Amino acid sequence: MTGLRAWLVQRVSAVCMLLITLFVLVHFLVDPPRSYLAWHDWMMSPGISVLTLVFFAALFSHMWVGVRDVVMDYIHPTAYRVLVLAVLGISLVAMAGWVLRIVLIGRG
Amino acid sequence: MKLSVFRYNPEHDQKPYMQDCEVELVPTDRMLLDVILRIRFDDGSPAIRKSCREGICGSDAININGRNGLACITPLKGLKEPVVLRPLPSFPVIRDLVVDMTRFFKQYYSIKPWLINDEPVPERERLQSPQDRAKLDGLYECILCGCCTSQCPSSWWNPEKFVGPAGLLQAHRFLIDSRDTATEQRLDDLNDAYRLYRCRTIMNCTEVCPKGLNPSREIEKIRLMMVKDSV
Repeated sequence: MTGLRAWLVQRVSAVCMLLITLFVLVHFLVDPPRSYLAWHDWMMSPGISVLTLVFFAALFSHMWVGVRDVVMDYIHPTAYRVLVLAVLGISLVAMAGWVLRIVLIGRG
Repeated sequence: MKLSVFRYNPEHDQKPYMQDCEVELVPTDRMLLDVILRIRFDDGSPAIRKSCREGICGSDAININGRNGLACITPLKGLKEPVVLRPLPSFPVIRDLVVDMTRFFKQYYSIKPWLINDEPVPERERLQSPQDRAKLDGLYECILCGCCTSQCPSSWWNPEKFVGPAGLLQAHRFLIDSRDTATEQRLDDLNDAYRLYRCRTIMNCTEVCPKGLNPSREIEKIRLMMVKDSV
């Protein structure tokens, strides 16, 4: 993923995250959950679960493009660069798995 | 007027150093270049490129109090003293305020800064409507002084791979020229990880352009052209 596509991913994911963050903030202002259970039920409702997945998919792809750009600018030795990118990629995949697990079974 | 000038003569200086001096102002002094040309050190005057002395040739781009500009169109009024003069940041220094522009022009040539048109040559000139011609405003005025590219952090990190704001502004100049038929190839050439997309919209280029151009916006327009092209 380079050039135009990486740039588009970064812009689109940023807009996604902004809209979802605003939606959640407004929701909590207008209709704050009264208890942990109420919050939990809301988070686990199908619509919000899908939204959670979209948010984290956007966050992780945004992070991949952004951090990779920083790595490309500042880390020039190939071996070191590959190592850092591998660590980044593995951590992102692991975090994505964790998010999936939370959404699917309802707890961390 | 007090000045502090970057000095470096590779023939006998181990390292660059700053040298202070004071120049008496005369009533005809208007621009910084007027004063620079009267600086006399023990070993002569500092080396500087200049030619037209009116902001057209782009030779005397230097770093003035930390900010790139053309000495010939920088008014003396409002300059904080001592005026610190350095060569363009990130460009290799040849001597004093004179830098090596080779890499800068290599990037410029890489975008093929000439009209490409494979259609048969018309009997007279290739005509352009006034509306199409107006699209080149804000682009053709670039004098390639290097102020923008030299002040661009993305160019500092990847000078060999990132075209830089000056080259990209020129790229847009040919991309939107109605007489140019190589738009597709030009866009393809820029669509990789480095040539265009190292631009992080820092906007130093727009901030320092002595001609008041907006390379940052032109780069954004190239990106939008690419988006439209790929849909």
